[in-house]
Amino acid sequence: MEQPSSFWLLLAVFAPVLAGLLSMRIRPSLVTPRVLVALVGPVVSFLSVLIHLAGHGVAKTDAATKVITWIPSLNLNVAFLADGLGAFFALLVSGIGILIVLYARPYFGMSKDEQYRFYPTLGFFTTAMMGIVLSDYMLLTLLFWEMTSISSFFLIGWYRYEKESVHKAMQAFFTTGLGGMAMLGGILMFGSSEGIWRWSEVAHWHPHSSGYVIAAFCMMFAGAATKSAQYPWHYWLPGAMVAPTPVSTFLHSATMVKAGVFLVGRMYPAFHELTIWPWLILIPGAITMLFGAVTALNQHDLKRIFAYTTVSQLGLLMCAYGLGGLEFEHGGQHLMAIDWDVTQIANHAFYKAPLFIIAGAIAHVAGTRDLPKLYGFWRVNKPMVIVMLLAGYALAGGPGTISFPAKELFFYAIYHAFEIHWIFQVLAVMAVLTAVCNVAIFVRLFTTLLGLPFGQRDLSFDVAVQGQGHGHGDGHDEHHDVGFWAAMLWVPGAVLVAWQYLGGLLPNLWSWIFRPLEANVNYEGFAERLPFVWEMHWGIPLIMSLCAIGGGLVVGLSPLMRGAVGDVHDRIYPFLYWLCVHGGGRAFRTFQSGHFRWYVVAVVSFLILGFAGSVYFEPAMLDVHTASPLEFWPGLLLGIVICVSALMLPMVEKRVIRVLVLGACGFSVVGMYLIYQAPDLALTQLMFELISVILFVLVLRMLPSPDVKKSPGKVWRIAISAAVGITMGWMTLLAANSGTPPALGPFFEANSYEGTEATGGRGGGGHNIVNVVLVDFRGFDTLGEITVLSIAALGVWALLPGRAVRRLEEKFGSEGGAA
Amino acid sequence: MTLILAVCVAVILAVCIYLMLGRELKEVAMGVFLLSHAAHLSIIAMSRSPVLSGAEGHDLKSAPILGMGSQPVDALPQALILTSIVISFAVMGFLLTLIVLTGRRATTLNVDDLAKEQLPTP
Repeated sequence: MEQPSSFWLLLAVFAPVLAGLLSMRIRPSLVTPRVLVALVGPVVSFLSVLIHLAGHGVAKTDAATKVITWIPSLNLNVAFLADGLGAFFALLVSGIGILIVLYARPYFGMSKDEQYRFYPTLGFFTTAMMGIVLSDYMLLTLLFWEMTSISSFFLIGWYRYEKESVHKAMQAFFTTGLGGMAMLGGILMFGSSEGIWRWSEVAHWHPHSSGYVIAAFCMMFAGAATKSAQYPWHYWLPGAMVAPTPVSTFLHSATMVKAGVFLVGRMYPAFHELTIWPWLILIPGAITMLFGAVTALNQHDLKRIFAYTTVSQLGLLMCAYGLGGLEFEHGGQHLMAIDWDVTQIANHAFYKAPLFIIAGAIAHVAGTRDLPKLYGFWRVNKPMVIVMLLAGYALAGGPGTISFPAKELFFYAIYHAFEIHWIFQVLAVMAVLTAVCNVAIFVRLFTTLLGLPFGQRDLSFDVAVQGQGHGHGDGHDEHHDVGFWAAMLWVPGAVLVAWQYLGGLLPNLWSWIFRPLEANVNYEGFAERLPFVWEMHWGIPLIMSLCAIGGGLVVGLSPLMRGAVGDVHDRIYPFLYWLCVHGGGRAFRTFQSGHFRWYVVAVVSFLILGFAGSVYFEPAMLDVHTASPLEFWPGLLLGIVICVSALMLPMVEKRVIRVLVLGACGFSVVGMYLIYQAPDLALTQLMFELISVILFVLVLRMLPSPDVKKSPGKVWRIAISAAVGITMGWMTLLAANSGTPPALGPFFEANSYEGTEATGGRGGGGHNIVNVVLVDFRGFDTLGEITVLSIAALGVWALLPGRAVRRLEEKFGSEGGAA
Repeated sequence: MTLILAVCVAVILAVCIYLMLGRELKEVAMGVFLLSHAAHLSIIAMSRSPVLSGAEGHDLKSAPILGMGSQPVDALPQALILTSIVISFAVMGFLLTLIVLTGRRATTLNVDDLAKEQLPTP
């Protein structure tokens, strides 16, 4: 089968950032042309994906496009995989991207600076997101993955002069960045052990639960979990609500936070057979689901409410994928929990994005996002409230929306999992409680926004009177638009929420659109299309839904849980930050004490401990056979002289004698070189020893006489020194008596005058092997040696001021001398 | 011979560390100076014993010069040490210069007091 060309998908990936950059070329005063240019990017993306799909159809999970070679040595090339999941995400990202471009225009009002910056950054992000969902090479996915981290950092920290904003942006970047690092490690481990670097190859991989694969999978999941805000890493998502609402809509409801879910979906075809899959994904997913829902109920800020419901829904999606790892039978059919998984994801995007859009629109119009203050907002702006309530109804999973069958499918999967383990009954209770919270949130929105009894109300604030002014909670001060652009504040939300009801009321149409994108449909009952509301079977799942609706009505109308609570997990990042800054500083001050003696002790203890450790694991190191020291008596004599002169050094008090003893030690080493048949060494050492002794004497004359202070504790000094000495001596003995004879010596011997085959027939042309080695074989080494010597000489010359300068210093003081 | 060298390395290094742990900057300098001796001796020990085994009396191998004898010692350790001697001399000279400068600018050459002292920048 011929592979489809990568061209259209490449265009789809890079069109948004190109259009964004192009929009910077337009004069700041021309706002509408700028919006139109920025609009071209996602529109081109959307159409390119459609053209590709029209030409080649939805790919199977193993059918990538043609490879464009990039860095083959790193297993990093450009190829795309437009399977159901990838193509759906690409259409979702570019489609919502179009709406966000339109929505951002009235949101930022006429603020030219904001728009000038916003569209290129948005384009950058859109490109990164398109790259994640379409890339076939794992490392390419990772590259775009990190690009979303970077671009979302810019977008979350949009109000760059506000400390809070920058802080939250760093929090998000830090958290998702760490996850990205883990993911890189996972991909590298998986790729190097299994030789698989492309998602399309994963489909043919035969999973085996070896430790290496499990570790790689866990690390990849860590990347997905941080990006998709799974407990306990969910804190960055509510924190990221400091971003402008177009950003929250795009990144934190519809696209970026779904990247983790997407990654899990990408891994699903093969990895779900790992035994660890269901548990690793289910447990954090279930906790996230319930925790997010309950916390969402206890918030007042609209964006925070929706952020926590997003967290909850991401947990639910993860749970669905986790259940997908379990296979259970019903009536002879294999039943998989992630049937219609694309619909599950689409469902969330189609109600959460409108909720965010309207939350931003309300904040724009009313100047507040506090739910109690918005009591009776219906009187101020009817279209916005209608769209929000329609989306809220979908959030509650009410019949008539696609959300209802989606939630029903999830309940259905959990219900059938009862057969596997009783623990899934706990999961069922958690899922129902989550649904109760979602229904309750809708009830709150309904009663409050319409100004009905039981609504939440801040009596000190009347939105109809006070909410018309400016001073927005969203940090912009431009005047409001009228007409077309004013409508664009809520129309994108309406466009998206319409899909909810399309799916709920016309399931045939929905299935016609989405069925080709669904890769996982195992249960034959849903093979063609999702059921209508009235086709639902009467059973446990439907009862769970009714319980949720009933419970939600009660909780929503009751006076319980109406406060705004903080999230204790918001402290995780500040604590880690504090730990890094203070703990790191403390560690630095401990290790870098500035005391010379401490450094010496640290270095030599490491040496001693390392040697002790090696001896512990290899006791044969203690067993050394060597020739008798009496084999050559002049050597023994010289050795004794060396040792005695060295030992005398710390004992003598007078400075000059000390230097002489130092010289004696050096000259006996020269003698040792002679015994070892090294005339070159002996000559060089003799010369430098002489100069050194003279230098020492001169230097000692220049220095003040020593302070009469007692030396530090002698015992531990001697103990450490002896330990180091014995260690190093023993290592010398070991090395000199190791079994293998030196191999390089004969090589130099053979090649120093006449070459052999090893040197291509060219010898060094010298009889003195040592000299030939120095200037020929290791010529660059000697060049380095000369460089060191020259630099040291230059340093000495530069540091020691000449006599003329010194005279000047004496005359004018050191200030004049320095000048 | 290897045993003798190993003992020499052990003694020199022990003295060197002992001096480095002292309080006087001059002692530290001497310790650094001795360190190079210990390192060189430990490297030359790699070329095995220069004493010819099995020969009559105490004959030594020949120097690593072609035509000097049939059994020269290993030349590579010598070449390495030759490089090292020059470099350790360079380092020594630089160190002594720094010590002289410190002696001029600081009030003390005690290592512990120097750590606390705020030296004027040249």
